[in-house]
Amino acid sequence: MDPAQVAAVVTWALPYAGAVLSLLLSRLDRGRDALAASLLGVSALSASILAWDVFSSPEGLVTWSVPWVPSLGLDAGVYVDTLSAAMALIISWLCFLIGIYSLEYMAEDPGRTRYWFFFDFFVGSMLLLVMADNLLVMFLGWEGTGLASYALIGHWHTDEEERCVGDVGRRALGVPMWFTPSHSGLRALVFTRLGDVGFLVGIGVLYLLTGTFSIPEIASSAGEWASWLAARGLLLPFLLTFSLGAMAKSAQFPFHEWLVTAMTGPTSVSALIHAATMVKAGVYFLLRFGPIFKLAQAELAAVPAASQAVSTYFEVVALAGAFTAFFMATQALVARELKLVLAFSTASQLGYMFLALGSAGLMGEFSSGLMAGFSHFMSHAMFKAALFLGAGAVIHAVHSKYLDDMGRLSDPMRLTMASMLVTALSLAGVPPLMGFWSKDAVVEAAAESGIAAAYALGVVTAGLTAFYSTRLVLRTFFYEESDNVSRLRREHRLHEARPLMLAPYLTLAAATLLLGVAWPLVGPRILEAVSRNVLALGEVPGFEVHLEPGMLAASLSMVFGGVALGWVAYQTPAGGRLLAAAAGPGPLRALREFLYDRWYVNSLYYRVIVGGFAWLSRAGFRYFESIVVDGFYHRLVPASAWGASELGWTFERGVVDRGYNEALPALALWIGRQFRRLQTGAVNHYLLLFFAGLALLVYVLVWVV
Amino acid sequence: MILDSPILFTSVVAPIAISLALPLLDDSLGRRGTAAAGTVLLMIPAAAVAWIAARFGLGGPVVDPVFFRSESIGRFSMLLDGLSAPLAISIALVTVTISVYSLRYMEHRFEEFEREEGGGAPGWGVYYMLYVMFAAAMMGTVLSTNLIEFYLFLEVSLLPSFLLIAFYGYGNRGRIALLYLIWTHVGALVFLVGALVAGLAAGTFDFYDPELLRPVEVGALLPAGLRMPVVAALCLGLFVKLAVFGVHIWLPYAHAEAPTPVSALLSPNLIGIAGYALVRIVYPMFPAEFARLATYTLPLGLFTIVYGGLMALAQDDFKRLLAYSSVSQMGYILAGVSTLTPAGVAGAMTHYAAHAVGKALLFSTAGVLIVQMDGLRSISKMGGLASRMPMTSSLALLGFMHITGIPPSLGLWSEILILTGLAGTAVGGSAAYFSAMVLILLVGIGLSTAYAFLTMKRIFFGQPTDRTEGAEEAGWTLLGPMAVVAAAGILLFLWPGVVLDPLSAAVSSILG
Repeated sequence: MDPAQVAAVVTWALPYAGAVLSLLLSRLDRGRDALAASLLGVSALSASILAWDVFSSPEGLVTWSVPWVPSLGLDAGVYVDTLSAAMALIISWLCFLIGIYSLEYMAEDPGRTRYWFFFDFFVGSMLLLVMADNLLVMFLGWEGTGLASYALIGHWHTDEEERCVGDVGRRALGVPMWFTPSHSGLRALVFTRLGDVGFLVGIGVLYLLTGTFSIPEIASSAGEWASWLAARGLLLPFLLTFSLGAMAKSAQFPFHEWLVTAMTGPTSVSALIHAATMVKAGVYFLLRFGPIFKLAQAELAAVPAASQAVSTYFEVVALAGAFTAFFMATQALVARELKLVLAFSTASQLGYMFLALGSAGLMGEFSSGLMAGFSHFMSHAMFKAALFLGAGAVIHAVHSKYLDDMGRLSDPMRLTMASMLVTALSLAGVPPLMGFWSKDAVVEAAAESGIAAAYALGVVTAGLTAFYSTRLVLRTFFYEESDNVSRLRREHRLHEARPLMLAPYLTLAAATLLLGVAWPLVGPRILEAVSRNVLALGEVPGFEVHLEPGMLAASLSMVFGGVALGWVAYQTPAGGRLLAAAAGPGPLRALREFLYDRWYVNSLYYRVIVGGFAWLSRAGFRYFESIVVDGFYHRLVPASAWGASELGWTFERGVVDRGYNEALPALALWIGRQFRRLQTGAVNHYLLLFFAGLALLVYVLVWVV
Repeated sequence: MILDSPILFTSVVAPIAISLALPLLDDSLGRRGTAAAGTVLLMIPAAAVAWIAARFGLGGPVVDPVFFRSESIGRFSMLLDGLSAPLAISIALVTVTISVYSLRYMEHRFEEFEREEGGGAPGWGVYYMLYVMFAAAMMGTVLSTNLIEFYLFLEVSLLPSFLLIAFYGYGNRGRIALLYLIWTHVGALVFLVGALVAGLAAGTFDFYDPELLRPVEVGALLPAGLRMPVVAALCLGLFVKLAVFGVHIWLPYAHAEAPTPVSALLSPNLIGIAGYALVRIVYPMFPAEFARLATYTLPLGLFTIVYGGLMALAQDDFKRLLAYSSVSQMGYILAGVSTLTPAGVAGAMTHYAAHAVGKALLFSTAGVLIVQMDGLRSISKMGGLASRMPMTSSLALLGFMHITGIPPSLGLWSEILILTGLAGTAVGGSAAYFSAMVLILLVGIGLSTAYAFLTMKRIFFGQPTDRTEGAEEAGWTLLGPMAVVAAAGILLFLWPGVVLDPLSAAVSSILG
């Protein structure tokens, strides 16, 4: 193994080692916490070495593998091209920063052994996922993130009311709209596993058609398996099934619901899930397989139906993304919980990434769409992690998750305010922050995709995003002081976060700012480096930051319009009156309720799907299983047997028994009596009988024989 | 590879024979001594399997020399190969560990008898005698090479398990034991009728030739008109045992009311043997006929997955829920076998092992809850146990992970293989067929995940109830054996090749 290979293994293996050590060394207590976090640091360093090697080497690739299950042709291996290296680099550093934050944030938590075990397990799984050289190892990491998220979302599994997400007691269409940690964990697991079934079926199909799980080999035979499937009309169903896992993991409609309630875990976990791991798995899936599907399409160019199937697939992805972006942004507008605003925003931003990656397949230059998706992934990872970590500090300080209990925190939490301001503006897409550049690239890709609806949704969502980002910052830090904050201020309990918590999100905010300012210079070079050697992507033309004036005007007017509207609403008397009016009865309030109850989608899921299956289960058990099946075998069959036995007994006693023991002897006696009566002694009687007998004999002989 | 002496046979029969002495010895051995003796007896077949695996590997078949030969019946031998190994290994693992687990559990059960019925149940010697007979006979069925031999061992496993339920079970145990006996005999006798017809017509009852080391295609020796009825009889008999939808109704009674260590053997180990028998016996005997039948058993298996899952969701009794879950899990095995693809069949056999680990852990968990909370089985009266019993809840989580295929568990491998097999069937059809298959799998696996983790939530998370308020963690006498099973499951996840490589080779050679 050369040093780069060692780095490639250490990067994902060390977090797993950290997980096991967290368990074994739980007695070390704080020392164990430090160990678990610092192993993530070593992993991040290792990812940096690896990235350096990949980016600087001419081939841009590090691979390593050992045989694992020879009979399946399965190796345990990594395939680190420039894409994987970039992903691993971003993920490992983010996770390390969040780990440092956790040291302070979780310091008092009694369940820290569990926390660090699953935290490190999560990181290891995510890194394995993005570096895997074959589908099974990738799936392993994929499922590992599912398990870890289940455990961490439900970390506070005793389900106290204050740990819930949503308003306790609130119902929509009769369905409770508050979720305990253990309920949220269950939702995350079930929703994502539904998608995983599709992913796994897709893996199975590819394995059967190619005889391998290896992603590079599947890429190199893309034309063959795709044409086999296309010839049977299965290409589109296959592509959609295969991508189901990505849709569910990345919380795209209709799988978005799990992410919204995944806030019940510690805030550090939210940051982990939303910024670095888990939800980004689906985005990585598209970054990894999009080029392969595109390659398959190129090789199938001669078959219009097959080529059309791939285009339709990309259209579905783009539209799902655009709709999710818009749909979730509308819900962020009215959310009352600080973290919930961010959660909606994550799903919405993931929608942007899907929009870009779907559009990529429809536009002239595939790689520029792909890199638009990647750059938005990168910028979102940074600003969303910083926002969540900052939100955790704010919630910690005011002891409430509600925006209503915040306000005027700019003074006591000046640094946190600065960090959240910068990162929220980046989320809003305000130039020259990183979010501006990446969102612009996404919207541009949407425009080039030729799907008008997707482009329109993308632009409108930019305005919504700007509004809710502004609202978030204003209501937290600048809006009128809530009673809660006044009380805390009087008691001198408001304070800035401690350095261990502060440092990670300040670092990320600074990175967002610096990278944004420098983007016109460094951006194209970064994207060139990342796309230089991506599996199945081929030669990539150079990148340049170019701003289409018309589109820029549209998106910037949406952004500044959104920001301005937010400012007016929350900082001016007129806005205050408007908000008060919206709170009263009327269509505005109905709209707000509709958005607040998440378009009633959750309620419909519970009413129709959950309720439907619950009904099927209950009624099926009560009526079919207990009455029909059980009744048939254990009532009807035994009863029939019993009945038959009774009948037999009656027959035995009434017919057989009486027949043999009563009727037969009686008959014999009767016959005897008759015979005795025949023996009268009179000769003429005998003669008569003799002739009668003779006549009978003759009759028989003549007529019958 | 033919052994010099019948090691496998001896290792299976010796414990059964010796166990007859346990009821006489238990006074002098005491309960610990009896438990130790029973466990050691079960270690004999385990050691034989381990020794052969280590000495010769599982790559090729290893058989006993023929130890019984008859003109009309054929030859009796025992066979350990890639196909029987996953079953043999999981039976060895679960029966030995649950034997240790039984000690503390049955202590509690005997106390209960003392308190509620003033004693009356036969003592330790009888328990361990029956337990050893039951467990060793299961091993015997799996290793058999002859239909009559298979049937005999099946009978030897059924009678002791019947008595275990009748003596030590819960609820209306006499009636339920009888129900179990009748049902399993209906299955066994239907199978026997098929076997007798086939064997008498073919002139041999061997389904595996222990001298030429290959399966015997008995079907070819039968008149064509007789083959399908025989296959149908064999399959129907096995389906009763497998508790496939339609003939599953005995299972929830028996598995819920059996003493919990026996449930932990019945549920994963015993019923799954029928799935193995489909691959080991029925398919090689009648490849063409079974392939025709498989187009119908595949949807039946898929339906069983969904149906069992739905029924499990409706249960409040934890053991009954696990019993219905077994019905659903057997659906996965039947579906995998019915694909008749290397991946699907290998997946089904791997799932036997994964389910054995998972269900052993889960029934043991149910047992822990029964012991620690005075017979508590109602899920609605549980809650908040994770903070009071962290070790138990971790082991239960691992159990649920095994049956739903979440890593790091062996279940991941069986899920991958079964789904690959099903994918192979799905791409053979139209787009609508493919989509329908995906949809059914979404529902089936979704239900499995839902009932598993909803149960996890209802038992272990949330606030405690008055029944669970004062609960305490069980001791190592219960948790130790469970931890061994869990560790084995994780190790098999990390080194699946131990089982999978020989299994794939064996399955490929059977499917041809």
